[in-house]
This record gives sequence, C-alpha cells and structure tokens, in this order.
Amino acid sequence: MPAYKFYYFPIRGLGEAPRQIFALAGVEFENIGISDEKWETFQKTETPFGQMPLLEVDGKQIPQSFAICRYIASQHGLAGKTPFEAAWVDALADQYKDFNNDFKKFFYVQLGFEDGDKEEYKKEHGIPARDKFFPLIVKQIKDNGSGLLVGSSATWVDILIAEAVSRIAENVPGFFESYPEIIAHQQKVHSIPQIKKWIEAR
Amino acid sequence: EGPFRHSSSVMPAYKLVYFDVRGLGEVSRLLFHASKTPFEDYEVALNGDEWTTLKQKTPFGKMPVLYVDGKPLAQSFAIARYLAREFGFAGNSPFECALVDALGDQFKDYWVEMFPFFAVGAGLKEGDQKALQKEVGEPARDTFFTMLERVAKENGSNGHLVGDSLTWIDLAIADHIITLQNFSAGFVDAFPTVLAVREKAMNDPRLKEYLDSRPVRHF
Repeated sequence: MPAYKFYYFPIRGLGEAPRQIFALAGVEFENIGISDEKWETFQKTETPFGQMPLLEVDGKQIPQSFAICRYIASQHGLAGKTPFEAAWVDALADQYKDFNNDFKKFFYVQLGFEDGDKEEYKKEHGIPARDKFFPLIVKQIKDNGSGLLVGSSATWVDILIAEAVSRIAENVPGFFESYPEIIAHQQKVHSIPQIKKWIEAR
Repeated sequence: EGPFRHSSSVMPAYKLVYFDVRGLGEVSRLLFHASKTPFEDYEVALNGDEWTTLKQKTPFGKMPVLYVDGKPLAQSFAIARYLAREFGFAGNSPFECALVDALGDQFKDYWVEMFPFFAVGAGLKEGDQKALQKEVGEPARDTFFTMLERVAKENGSNGHLVGDSLTWIDLAIADHIITLQNFSAGFVDAFPTVLAVREKAMNDPRLKEYLDSRPVRHF
C-alpha cells in the first residue's frame, strides 16, 4: 500500500468527498490540515500546482479534488463496474461542478463569504441552479433503480452529491423540500457504515 | 500505449454529436482519428434550428453527446476520458491517468475563468475583445499556462504533458492553442515547452490524414 498524504484546509469544503472515499475504501491516509496562515508558504514551496486539495502518493502529487476522488475510487471498486459506468460517474460529477459554478454565487453570500442580499441571490442564482440540476439527479436515481446514481453499489459521485446536499441543507433550511428523492439519496449514502462512522468521528 | 484497451472484442457503434465547431468536442474527434476507430461524426449547426429539438433529447441539455451502441454519454471530458481509456490515450499507469485528469480539471477551471474572453472572440457574444483579452484572457492564460509550462518541463520536455506518449490532455491543449492563436497570434508564445506539446500532437502521423482534411475552424 502506498503512503497517502491528503492536504487541504481543515474544513469540509472540497476535501470532504475525497476523505469519505478513503473511508469507504478502507484505505489509510494522513489527513493533513493546512491553515490559512500556513497555506501561503506551503503554496509557494511545497507544490507546483498552487492549489488544494492535494494528494501525495509516495511523494508524488496530484491536485484537483475530482482527479483525487477518481484515482482512489477506481482502485477500490468505487468508480463503476464497467468503463461506461465509470464514464457516467464522471459525467454526473462534471454536471455537479457546472451546477456548483452557478450555485456558489448564491451559496458564498448565504455563508457570509461574500456580500449580497441573501434572498435576492437565492432567487437569482440559488433556485434556478437547483432546479436545472437536481431534476437530472432525480431522473438518474429513478432510471438507475438501486437508489444510487450509477450501478448497484456506491460510487464516488454518490459521496460527492450526498456531501454537497447535506452541506447545502445545513445552511439553507428547507432548500430540498420539493426534492424528497435527493434527501433519501443523501440519507442512504450517509448510512453506509464506513461513511456513517467517518461523519460521526469528524 | 496505456493499460486500458477495448473492453469488448466486438467494436461498438460510436456516434459523436456536437456542433460544427472544434470547441470542447474536438478532442474526442481526434481520439477517434488517432486510434483509427470508425465513428459517425454528427455535426449540428451552431446557429441552426436542429439544436432546439435535439437539446431535449440529450441527457443534460448540452453537447457533445457520445452514443455507444445507442446509449448516450454526456459531458465533454467524461467522453474524452472514456474514449482515451478505450483506445489507450489515458496514461500509462493509474498515477499518470490521475495526473492527466487533474490537468483536464484545471483546464476546465481555466475555461470557466476565460469564457467571457472566449465568447466574444468566437463571436458568440458582443463585447470589447481587446479589453476582455487584457482583463480576462491574459490573467487566466498566465495562471494556467505557467502551470502547464512547469508540468511539461518537469515531465522531461519530451513533447508530452504526462508520461512519454500521447494522451487526451495533450490533444485538448494542442487544439485549444490553435483557437487562442486564431484569436490573438502569439498569445501563448511565452510558453515554449507547452507549444512543443502542441507541435508534437499536431504532427502525430496517426492524425495527418484527418488534420489535412478537417474543416478549418476559428474555434
């Protein structure tokens, strides 16, 4: 087993999904939190990519949360059972990223990271982004038939979406009221024993 | 090439549906041609009526869409990665594949950042191209291409971004550089090791027939 070091700020953010994938895969890793103060030096001296999350595998680095997720997941049966399934996992993750690029215009205001009228941003960016993306996810869950997004067992995009949903639901009360299937999916993923254990311990 | 080969012994029927531009779909066309895999290259006019009806039939309301024996797959880079894995252009180890993927993700982040400049350069939107180049295009380019230049050098300045053989990220970056040079000649001249990747990809003998005959497109 290679030595894995996972570097990110000591928050959930983009780091939580990769950490949960390690947990579900049962893979040991060093979970290294880099504070804002330490990041400036770290960014200049420790990584050519200038960003986190960052995975170090026996000393070699991979940036980008999705590349990290896919790398760990695909070596531990969490990336779909066929190449076509794996591609669908990728497609759903990329579609989530497109959603988040829109949605974060509202979410950062909601979280207080950026200035703005919360209700206005919710109306302009939050709700339209939600209503464009989550019907696709509901359809995917229904068509797939297992309660999960792709195939019959959990994949890294199930973890990604469930984490996003729980983070949004925690910060925007009632946001998924008209999306019961989305809440059901999130609860299903978070009741997987290894993930439940990780969430309880974090 | 890489460890991933055709997953079945019988070749599936492939159909790639995209606009009549290079954009984010060209990398997949290049993968088909580099591997000499037959496919239906179905092009939809960018400003035509067909897209309005076709849009609702796609998984996510966007293109490209790849049909594999009639089953759809969406998202440009999910498609490219799938084809690259099938045809041996994804990387020569799981780690290399991950690095290729990371550069692909970084490319997408850069794409989002520079899109206002791209949209005007491509004639998709009205705007002041010179101003957008300075305020949007150049900063985005500098962040992304500085990183690529370093990655290409650390990979050994061998004409590839990762490993020692052609991957889908080489193709995606090479084709995008053509677009940047169309918008503004010399736009990436400050990144010679990355330009060498473009050179090597565009001179790959497997692509010669296609590149000599494909329509010349601004973007």
